[in-house]
Amino acid sequence: MRNQRSVKQEFLRKWITGLRRYSCDEKKNMSFLERKKAIKLSADIAMASTRDKTTRWSQALIANASSSGDTLTGSSKNNSSRSRKKMLMMRRRRPKVKSAKKEMSASCIAKRLAEKRTRKLKNLLPGGESIDEGCLVEETLDYIESLRAQIEVMRYLVTASQLIINPYP
Amino acid sequence: MLHCLNSNASGSEMTVLERQRATIKWQHNNNHHQGYSSSSSPSPSSSSSISLVQVQSSSPACLAAGAWPKLDNNFLMGFTSSPSSGFPLPPPPPPTTSAASFDLNSAISRTSSCPLPSLAEGKETTTPNNKRKTDKFHNTKVVASDNDNKDKRVKVAAPNDSATVGKKGTQDCGDNSNKDNSKVSEVQNQKPDYIHVRARRGQATDSHSLAERVRREKISERMKFLQDLVPGCNKITGKAGMLDEIINYVQSLQRQVEFLSMKLAAVNPRLDFNMDDLFTREVFPACAASFPAIEMSPNMANPASYLHFNSSQQIDAGINPQDISLRRTISAPVSAPETFLDSSCFTQTLPSSTWEGDFQNLYSVAFDQARAASFPSQLFTGLLEPSNLKMEMEM
Repeated sequence: MRNQRSVKQEFLRKWITGLRRYSCDEKKNMSFLERKKAIKLSADIAMASTRDKTTRWSQALIANASSSGDTLTGSSKNNSSRSRKKMLMMRRRRPKVKSAKKEMSASCIAKRLAEKRTRKLKNLLPGGESIDEGCLVEETLDYIESLRAQIEVMRYLVTASQLIINPYP
Repeated sequence: MLHCLNSNASGSEMTVLERQRATIKWQHNNNHHQGYSSSSSPSPSSSSSISLVQVQSSSPACLAAGAWPKLDNNFLMGFTSSPSSGFPLPPPPPPTTSAASFDLNSAISRTSSCPLPSLAEGKETTTPNNKRKTDKFHNTKVVASDNDNKDKRVKVAAPNDSATVGKKGTQDCGDNSNKDNSKVSEVQNQKPDYIHVRARRGQATDSHSLAERVRREKISERMKFLQDLVPGCNKITGKAGMLDEIINYVQSLQRQVEFLSMKLAAVNPRLDFNMDDLFTREVFPACAASFPAIEMSPNMANPASYLHFNSSQQIDAGINPQDISLRRTISAPVSAPETFLDSSCFTQTLPSSTWEGDFQNLYSVAFDQARAASFPSQLFTGLLEPSNLKMEMEM
């Protein structure tokens, strides 16, 4: 497993940078929702960039963010376009061939259940629709780890910020 | 062979032993088994049953296909009668009868799906499961009595085999309706409960099934990792159930991220996360004791340096006189006065060896032992990450 601490540190660093860039750009006061979106987006991008484009979900995340015209992506835009092209090429690799007739055997039911769920999982994962099953589990693993790290870092920040406002009695 | 079989059977019912011997001899002659010399010495005991199994496994389809039609009806009837006496199996009155039926059962059910090296274990695993084989036994028996041509069945069975080998199904298809092919394949499908490796048939389609098997094993191995990662997945064994859990977990994590970002937005009206402030407070539990080596160098005087922690970082704190890119390995040596950072921090290997302990500890120690102004530079230079630190997915 990767070194979680270093991952978190890097994530935090990138996140703060991104946020600063964001706040510097927008001199006006942002609404609550805007702020939340900015926070989340920068966090996601920071998290994805800790993977340095070695995983598909991170590429997809950055690509999606850049496609939505975010200012934070900045330097990652070139990379994201390249990765997007790669993703598009990969998209049509494994079309699923479904048999026309539906057998009601138990194994087929089980298979169909599993298929439904893998499809759901693919929808959850950023950029997951164009992944084949073998990589899907890998990507999910990585994604879960990153999400966990992200949540922990965010929680620290939340508690810290809260404590600033309401210091210990 | 068969004649003697028939002749024997025509009179009284053959003893089980004789039947065994006959089948073995018949197998010998007809199957040209490769190298199962152990089967050449049948003896009236469990060893014969083992050999029987082995022989029959060596030419899997042949057994199901060929054994039955060639044998006399009496033979079959002997076995049909034995069910009444010997089934359900575990404590039947005549042990040899049950043994024979056990063995033949196991032999039948193991047609075509057990690889040769796993025979021994297969034997062990199958014998306790004999109870389940009642239906299969009946099915195959019925099937066998229908078809006369063993060769045809073998050929038919073989391609079907490879097709069904690739199936993921763990339960049988359930319809016993008509075809011999389906019977054979049904028998195979029922096997996965106790035989874990599918057989190779040496057919042209083998590569597909092999690749399929490898792929499936890879997936199941990764699922095991996921089981460790996702809490509460230890009890669930099915693929669909585990996927369910994983989906729920990922969804909950994503929702948590949303919620936390909302909270952060609410707490912080201006999106300025002032690290200085954050760490001047007693935010994190003090774990100062774990970092005895860390002291602040008095030369550090750049409070705002942490702002620029990208590749070209200017920290004139005395720690890193040269350019330090936090994302690259540090080649610049540590200059003199700083004692708090081990020089190991700046080597190309893991700086985190110095920064053992939690992520929190970094901040807490830095806070405890340094002035707030100087610590951030220390903190972020300590966060050097050689590129080899990242991306070690050991999957």
